[in-house]
Amino acid sequence: MPQDISVSFAPHIRKPLSTQRIMLDVLIGLAPAVIAAGVYFRIRGLALMAVCVVWCLATEWVCNLVRKKPGSLGDLSAVVTGVILAMSLPPAMPLWACAVGAVFAIAIGKMVFGGLGANIFNPAMVGRAFLTASFGILMTTWTVPATIDPSLPQVGPDNIVDARTQATPLAWSKIAIKDENGAGIYSERLPLWQSLLGEKAGCLGETCSVALLLGGIYLVVRKIIGFHIPLAVLASAFAFAGIAYAVNPDAYVQPFYHLTSGALLLGAFFIATDPVTAPLTVRGQWIFGAIIGGFTMLVRIVGEYPEGFMYAVLLANSVRPLIDRLVRPIPVGGKPNV
Amino acid sequence: MTTTMQDSRSFAGGVHPPEGKHLTKDRVIEPGPPAKELAILLNQHIGAPAQTTVKKGDAVAAGQQIGECRAFVCASAHSPMAGKVKEVVLLPHAVLGRAMGVIVEAESPTQPTPPEFQRPEGFDPDKYTPEQICDAVRNAGVVGMGGAGFPTSVKIQPDAKTPKETLIVNGCECEPYITCDYRVMLEWTEQLITGVQLVARACGAKSIFIAIEDNKPRAIERMGETLRKLGLSASIRVVPVKTKYPQGGERQLIRAVIEKVVPTGGIPPMIGVVVTNVATAAAIADAVVCNRPLTHRVVTVTGEGIARPGNYYVALGTPVQTLIDHCGGLTPDCAKVILGGPMMGIAIADLSTPIGKTTNAVTALTDRQVGKARRQEHQTACIRCGRCVQACPENLCPTKIAHAVKNHMLDLAQSYFMTACIECGCCSYVCPANIDLTGYIKTGKILLARQKKKMPS
Repeated sequence: MPQDISVSFAPHIRKPLSTQRIMLDVLIGLAPAVIAAGVYFRIRGLALMAVCVVWCLATEWVCNLVRKKPGSLGDLSAVVTGVILAMSLPPAMPLWACAVGAVFAIAIGKMVFGGLGANIFNPAMVGRAFLTASFGILMTTWTVPATIDPSLPQVGPDNIVDARTQATPLAWSKIAIKDENGAGIYSERLPLWQSLLGEKAGCLGETCSVALLLGGIYLVVRKIIGFHIPLAVLASAFAFAGIAYAVNPDAYVQPFYHLTSGALLLGAFFIATDPVTAPLTVRGQWIFGAIIGGFTMLVRIVGEYPEGFMYAVLLANSVRPLIDRLVRPIPVGGKPNV
Repeated sequence: MTTTMQDSRSFAGGVHPPEGKHLTKDRVIEPGPPAKELAILLNQHIGAPAQTTVKKGDAVAAGQQIGECRAFVCASAHSPMAGKVKEVVLLPHAVLGRAMGVIVEAESPTQPTPPEFQRPEGFDPDKYTPEQICDAVRNAGVVGMGGAGFPTSVKIQPDAKTPKETLIVNGCECEPYITCDYRVMLEWTEQLITGVQLVARACGAKSIFIAIEDNKPRAIERMGETLRKLGLSASIRVVPVKTKYPQGGERQLIRAVIEKVVPTGGIPPMIGVVVTNVATAAAIADAVVCNRPLTHRVVTVTGEGIARPGNYYVALGTPVQTLIDHCGGLTPDCAKVILGGPMMGIAIADLSTPIGKTTNAVTALTDRQVGKARRQEHQTACIRCGRCVQACPENLCPTKIAHAVKNHMLDLAQSYFMTACIECGCCSYVCPANIDLTGYIKTGKILLARQKKKMPS
């Protein structure tokens, strides 16, 4: 037979959407925040990102070599991990520490489990947790965006001597809880537009709310992620912050500030939605998102740390298999009678 | 119920593959190729194979029975043309690999032309008793021509315990590329409606619906017009349903049309519903009114891999190769030849496989449609994105079932309701990792049946 025809199981056609394309879309979604980081933290921010991405790729390449597995760099998932890790680090983080975090994220967070699809925890968050545990001070030293004129008098409690560093808005809110000055602290120190645009201290990629929202909406519209997890995260965080604010508006800041502060937006759209570490079913995803939002606020309001998103994601990741087991889809025709 | 109905005339889940119907939808039904030899399989249906009634050297007449039913769920086979039995041998079969069949050598090869169907003046289905209709259908060897091939006489029998109150005639043709049902609806409208009346008479159905996807407005219009002309628009309703794959799956169709749910593991008659395909209805009219056995069918020969796509009236037993040659042959870049459509059809390697009662199409796809990853069978790791879960029209968890089967854990697969799978292929279609989810699930079902000793290994 001259014809080279092949056989296989049906279906014989595929939707042209590959894992690689999904990861590429996530990177496109991250682009506005990456640009914002470049604007606010200049070359420093971009260098940090480059280091994280390069070390993530290198680690995955070496791990594949050691495991005698085919190369997997083409699926771009290591690039996504690198960018998200960088976005979650303080801009002043030494580059060697970033590299350590990147190696840990990929090697321990992903490859020891068997690579893409097999990891239990979000690799970027594993890397960040490792850095937080190892270099606590580095991880909480915040640089002021370069767009803020350094000659202007400092805003915020200047408990750190370095003139170019500043506490994050969430750290202020902690102080506000102690001082019972929640209502005043933000309106005095950070106008709303400045908070939205991201001219404030914080991790590389979490300061510009507008850029994060833009990228997040892109992903939802492209159907790369469902809207369920981001909505559940934000809604439950808003609800918990709202309860605290309703109980004592003097001590707790307005819930809206919580949504635009810290890693909540970055996390809701780009970290919690990592398909590998999130539940399969929509019902499970609602629960998963609610856990993340709720636990983040628990840490922020009651806990010792100003920010708790990383812990919330890791915690939710660890209960994800349980959620998947409990929330199984029931067939349309009901459970069979056997 | 955990799923929500998005549309009263559809179901939750499903996919929208490229339709590809433009290739053949405006091509009228043409006579198929004349064949010197026909290879008629004795197992063109679900159930026990027919038993051969002829032997080598026998002369057969056109329409003569060559395989008879000896079981309840069975369908007889007939010779489409006059000739001589050349051999009774194992023939290539798309599903079974090899199956018994009869090779008939033609006296003189003639081109099969569709016979004229004349609806009797003042046709009254009540003139026939249900038994008469069932017998005629059984003798004609009619089976479900939409794909499954379930013997029709068994399906349309009246049932005293659960009366078959509703008849849904399936004109969805949701499978991409295929247009044979569409052409039957446009060209054989009266014959089809006569068949629908006969089925309703046989099973005693009072509410009758003809469901057509809304991407076929001409068929919807034509059906409505003809019903009005025959004065039947009060008793038979044309229902446009949403264009979505697998809208023509009977469980999905029942949900869309009458908003009833067939229990998992159950069949439509359990809730008093009969679903029959439009081509089957036309064949029933032929069988009952004209006493003609099912020996020919309309086959869509289509796809980018074929030179001249079209809809043909083909004698059952015609080898696929003969039909392909009749249509100008395969293009050099043809990658797959499929019996049926691209979503559920069966890819064949042996082009001498004969056309059967359930072969609604021969689809030839090129590398472009099949896709590089699919052609190379390059699968990557599941990223648990849940697209398969959302696409599943039965609300199952395909990735869990498939990976359980892959790891030989049939109990785990069954705890995710593996046997509720309808094998529509939506999960494989959407999988970004190109995992053969449907393939694993099909394999798992076979393994489970073997484990329960229902099927020989």
